[in-house]
Amino acid sequence: MGDERQLSREAAVTYRCVRRYEAGQPDTQQRGVQRNSGGRQATMGSMFRSEEVCLVQLFLQSGSAYNCVSELGELGLVEFRDLNPNVNAFQRKFVGEVRRCEELEKTFTFLEQEINRSLSPPLHGPLPPPCPTPLAPQPRELITIEEESERLARELKEVSRNRDSLRAQLTQLCQYRGVLTRTHSLTASQAPPPVLESQGLFDNRQDVHLSFVAGVVHPWKVPSFERLLWRACRGYIIVDFREMEDPLQHPGTGEMVQWTVFLISYWGDQIGQKVKKICDCFRTQTFAYPESTAEREEILQGLEGRIEDIKSVLSQTEAFLQQLLMRAVAVLPQWKVRVQKCKAVQMVLNLCSPSVTDKCLIAEAWCPVAKLPELQSALREGGRKSGSGVDSFYNRLPSSTPPPTLFPLNSFTAGFQNIVDAYGVASYREVNPAVYTIITFPFLFAV
Amino acid sequence: MAELSFNVDHGYLEGLVRGMKAGILTQTDYHNLAQCDTLEDMKLHLQSTDYGKLLSSSEEDLTVSLVDNKLRENLVTEFSCLRTNALPPLSTFLDYITYSYMIDNVVLLITGALKQRDVAELLPRCHPLGAFDQMAAVGIARTPTELYSAILVDTPLAQFFQDAVSESNLDEMEAEILRNKLYKAYLESFHSFCKNIGGAMKDIMCPVLEFEADRRAFIITVNSFGTDLSGADRSALYPSCGKLYPEGLRLLAKAEDHEQVKAVADCYPDYKMIFDDPEPRSDFKTLEDRFFEQEVKLNTLAFLQQFHFGVFYSYIKLKEQECRNIVWIAECVTQRQKSKIHNYIPIFQGKN
Repeated sequence: MGDERQLSREAAVTYRCVRRYEAGQPDTQQRGVQRNSGGRQATMGSMFRSEEVCLVQLFLQSGSAYNCVSELGELGLVEFRDLNPNVNAFQRKFVGEVRRCEELEKTFTFLEQEINRSLSPPLHGPLPPPCPTPLAPQPRELITIEEESERLARELKEVSRNRDSLRAQLTQLCQYRGVLTRTHSLTASQAPPPVLESQGLFDNRQDVHLSFVAGVVHPWKVPSFERLLWRACRGYIIVDFREMEDPLQHPGTGEMVQWTVFLISYWGDQIGQKVKKICDCFRTQTFAYPESTAEREEILQGLEGRIEDIKSVLSQTEAFLQQLLMRAVAVLPQWKVRVQKCKAVQMVLNLCSPSVTDKCLIAEAWCPVAKLPELQSALREGGRKSGSGVDSFYNRLPSSTPPPTLFPLNSFTAGFQNIVDAYGVASYREVNPAVYTIITFPFLFAV
Repeated sequence: MAELSFNVDHGYLEGLVRGMKAGILTQTDYHNLAQCDTLEDMKLHLQSTDYGKLLSSSEEDLTVSLVDNKLRENLVTEFSCLRTNALPPLSTFLDYITYSYMIDNVVLLITGALKQRDVAELLPRCHPLGAFDQMAAVGIARTPTELYSAILVDTPLAQFFQDAVSESNLDEMEAEILRNKLYKAYLESFHSFCKNIGGAMKDIMCPVLEFEADRRAFIITVNSFGTDLSGADRSALYPSCGKLYPEGLRLLAKAEDHEQVKAVADCYPDYKMIFDDPEPRSDFKTLEDRFFEQEVKLNTLAFLQQFHFGVFYSYIKLKEQECRNIVWIAECVTQRQKSKIHNYIPIFQGKN
């Protein structure tokens, strides 16, 4: 039984009650849960046939209803019946509270995503559950959790965004620097452009002025890029591709890519427009290309300075981000468990019906007869915790439908019970085949 | 014996698709959705279906277009999962499915470029299933020949360009004609591909594609009333792989108004039903709706046979119809027009 079961065990409010799958039984079923009987041995009698289960009607005082249900949940004693079967899911009384819990869970998912994305060193495996397991929160504790989690999420979002934009800027600057350094060899070796203009051979040509478009493109797109350029602007352009030495981070996906630098020399305005459109199409990053060497040196120097600045700011931002993430890692497991419990309690309260005077909530639940004193003490404890003078109490009802089947299980017998249940669940007080299965299974399959 | 060896290559994916098909919304789900008052309630209901936390994980405001985008994203994810794991001939089949979206994207970009819209604005409106690398460069072409020789010759759409190459300048009308010509070539190619595979594939896919071909023919005819598209031009656009070929198509090319089209449809029992005059009741359905209904009916038949690729095609089309249904219901809910909310087309009846 993993840690997840531990959490769900505390969060749900039932014993491992199993229902007969026949018409006439109410359909609602709380998520079943294993009760860890720990050292206590299951009595053979009730394992053989179901434990005696009775229907009780609980009168929960309005003020202490939440705490009583929370106590019952911690013990895992009862299974609640749905007293409002005809009411829509979003017309129930406590649907606002449930939505609040869901909003909180959304925030927690976001926090977890950020942790998984940016924490370094990265976590090995999921977040550990808190120990000891916390209880369901009181209303004002819930408000505190809400405020804190929202503040943390807001800060994280902002810092994350800043960090991402800084990283994108850094990548761009590094790409520009790469373009300048790599294409220097290309243009330095070519004949200087003025040769074309000064000869007078091209007097009737208007725009012989050579223009450049330089940029970086993703290496996987180079073949189709090159082909499209050739088809669209055949004869009017010269394209050169060089690979960059160091891989840089792709701004969108975050993976390291070895970008390819390209330099397109063209003449003509219309061709220029076509070239620009094609560059946009392949999502390349283009930069202004300097004509003279002096300009180029100047730009390079400026770039180096800016890169240094951004690197220092980036490291500071990263440090702050890690701080926030460590804070989130510390509090998140606790919050998650508490909000889960709160949501479960609210969903159970949705199943209850308010009394005529609206002073108390009436709930119907199946409870094992042997546990009735524990039920009473749980109700008393809940009333005491909420500080109300009037106690909640229960009333045993005769039931027309047969109660659900309940087998007390431990971690050994649970497996065999599962196998037997896959074929069909025993009805109330029917002989339980699991007892025989425990004996014969090893002989049939293990020997 | 195709059945014996089908599962070796394609069994996993067929199982996956059938599992996904079981998650298609049923009549009960639509009923619940139609009872919602706001989009938030619809979101709550969708959480209990196969869509799960699809809408609840987003940070933006819940609008109908967001719902539409998320549903489409979901479909694209499922399709990519299928496509990346597919072996030929299934991979060819799945590629064929994407070509129709590619054609739509190309025409969308061309018409957008004609209206001087920015490419960056148009790209998000393209269908993601039909995306290809050179898509954004489509705007630089002036004529279909240029479009073909410069851009589309490297894409899978090149094979459909036989009749569509022309020297006339691209304008709105030309873009539509181009779309129909490409689509005709695509449908005929797809139809012959399915026929060549034979067996259960042929029995399932060919009726679906024939229906699609005839539906295009009818829609082209009905839409061309009032424009200057002559009968002869029209007949060049009709796909020839349908039931209407050749007599029905010849009659359709001569039809000048709705009555004559209806007379042509009367000769074929399937289409007679579609063109029948509806009784004067509140649930009047448009022609498009009736075609959709018939398409859904044909697609659900695909799941009754095993060991063929038709299940993939039908799943995609049914999921699309489901998206349309959900968006229709969402629109009715946001605009509070509950009277028409039941005009969606139910897909599976479902058990309670």
